[in-house]
Amino acid sequence: MEIRRFGEAMAHIDLDSGRIEMRPAPVDWVRKYIGARGLGVRYVLEAGPGVEPFSPENLLCFVNGPLTGTETSMSGRWACVTKSPLTGTVTDSHQGGWTAARVRWAGFDGLIFRGRSPSPVYAFIEAGRIELRDASEVWGKGIHETVAFFERRYGKKDLSVSAIGPAGESKCRFAAWVNEDDRAFGRGGTGAIGGDKNLKAIVIRASAQKSRDVDVDAWKRVRREALDAIRDEKNITSPKKGGLSVYGTNVLMNVTNSIGALGVRNSQSTSFGDRAELISGEHVQQTILVDDPTCHACPVACKKEVEITEGPWKGLRMESVEYEPAWALGANCDNDDIASVAKLIDQCNDLGMDPIELGNVLSMYMEASERGFVTGTRLAWGDTRAMVALTEVIATRTGVGDLLAEGPTIAAAKLGHPEIAMAVKGQAVPAYDPRGLKGMGLGYATSNRGACHLRAYVAAAELGVVPIESDPLAWQGKGQLVKTFQDLHAFSDSLDLCKFSAFAQGAQEYASQYAVARGEAFGPEDVMRAGERIYNLERYYNNLAGFREGSDSLPDRFTREASTMAGSKGHVSELAQMLVEYYAVRGWRDAVVPAEKLRQLEIP
Amino acid sequence: MQVRFYATLRAVVGSKTIDVDVPAGARAIDLARAIALRWPALADRLIDDRGGLSRQVHLLIDGRNVRWLPAGSSTRLHTDSTIDVFPPTAGG
Repeated sequence: MEIRRFGEAMAHIDLDSGRIEMRPAPVDWVRKYIGARGLGVRYVLEAGPGVEPFSPENLLCFVNGPLTGTETSMSGRWACVTKSPLTGTVTDSHQGGWTAARVRWAGFDGLIFRGRSPSPVYAFIEAGRIELRDASEVWGKGIHETVAFFERRYGKKDLSVSAIGPAGESKCRFAAWVNEDDRAFGRGGTGAIGGDKNLKAIVIRASAQKSRDVDVDAWKRVRREALDAIRDEKNITSPKKGGLSVYGTNVLMNVTNSIGALGVRNSQSTSFGDRAELISGEHVQQTILVDDPTCHACPVACKKEVEITEGPWKGLRMESVEYEPAWALGANCDNDDIASVAKLIDQCNDLGMDPIELGNVLSMYMEASERGFVTGTRLAWGDTRAMVALTEVIATRTGVGDLLAEGPTIAAAKLGHPEIAMAVKGQAVPAYDPRGLKGMGLGYATSNRGACHLRAYVAAAELGVVPIESDPLAWQGKGQLVKTFQDLHAFSDSLDLCKFSAFAQGAQEYASQYAVARGEAFGPEDVMRAGERIYNLERYYNNLAGFREGSDSLPDRFTREASTMAGSKGHVSELAQMLVEYYAVRGWRDAVVPAEKLRQLEIP
Repeated sequence: MQVRFYATLRAVVGSKTIDVDVPAGARAIDLARAIALRWPALADRLIDDRGGLSRQVHLLIDGRNVRWLPAGSSTRLHTDSTIDVFPPTAGG
């Protein structure tokens, strides 16, 4: 695997004709946009910002980063980039596991799909070859069954399967791609684009390859430095010692609850009280945890596999109970039953949908039911059996499921009450209430893919786990803080390293590893400039797609209805003030990138 | 005073909620020192080299991290205060 040549092995797959061509990415694109997220956005821009998401012209790009599949810690990731059917923005989502590494080992840096296959197909990838093969035997099947089918056909050894489920096939707007049963391109509805293109799965068979064409001593040194940072016992990534490793992401549940930043009942409240404990990482570890799986080249092992041993979901064994879905399908739906949360997450893994969006659309529908906005099937708070049943019909767009498959923004609007959709640019909010973590709210509003915690994980600063610390209830200074995190993450998403690497590493470590991988000088200032360029490229795309002045916003609930819970009592999000700061440090005119800024950053 | 422990700290103290003896009018740092005295394994995580509250612990009084309160670790505790003690915690 000659890692310095990243970007040369890009496969262009025309699903209309079945023709597959290898065309290297332009050298200038790789220099400016690095890989994965950045490079994928550059390809999607080429298809035109006016493209309809559900059209053959929309590109579905799966792109590795220059570090993907190498020995670099936390590098087992790739990006799926397309125009989102949920938001109408450009979107990118990232998948862990082993799929990304195996695609690299099989000889490919990226797969660019266009067109629409006349019948269901899957892409089979092995040893430098890609073939489109008939998928009619698995069309209509859940992801677990699809993975098992391909494992029977090709054997489990060295095999990865990334697939869509019934939700993708029915074009549910928040459908996901899921690999190896449970690692998802979760957000933005990328699975629905797969369904629209009749692309059921990507199946890869490849054994591990070592990096070549690299300064061996320097490569070892920079990787060792990065690994030492991950292992440092002061960092939450420390294997078997840090909170992220021991409890997984759900270690957050109790802390956000305590500070009044945990949305409850469709974000009508900001704390779940003593009930948060029942869906927390601590409770999972004490009661149902059975294993700590991991991804390629990751010592952290933050995934949490559980087994349910009693109740209606007895016998279920699944991974992974994460903080985001435990919040979305738990506290936000007034549900403190962890077994049902595990069941609902597993449904998302099998049906292929985003659990954050699912939890939000269900909680929106619960509020609509309570307020009398619903004339047909109603849904009570915390009714777990009904939640499970509704999840099935959402995936197939049956009955009321057809409405809810549109996502909370469109569904609430069709119910005549758009104000109860907790979403930004059409994408639902994650598990950090903007009244208790002010920077996260600004991050949601200015995220280029709609509400998102991962575009700017300033919670790390507001919760005090990185050297830059910031009072979560202060709004001053959040403009610069959010920009810094957005730019840094845009770069790491383009390498493509796990977001959690940022709990132990920064621009210096990213620069060192990238410089050796490319064989050229690259410093921390280059990291931040490339990240800024990628963030502005996305914004430029969105501006061309119609997202203009005033498009960075939050639901009124967060800016007008004050928190009543300890930690954040009396607080709202001061979004307007934060946006003034933010646009000033960005050099934007409101939500729009001026031409001068584009020239400075050499965009496109 | 009742103190709630979380994550890796709870694994050391052995329970979610523990009664910790501190005198009336005690400050947050006094509570941290009392906890460190009772569980020496936590001392390095609670108290820094200069005897102050370590950056490796987050002590919340009624949902507010003391590091953001005007008096910081010298903030006085009240008998009805809710006290939460966390290690560094994040995820996503």
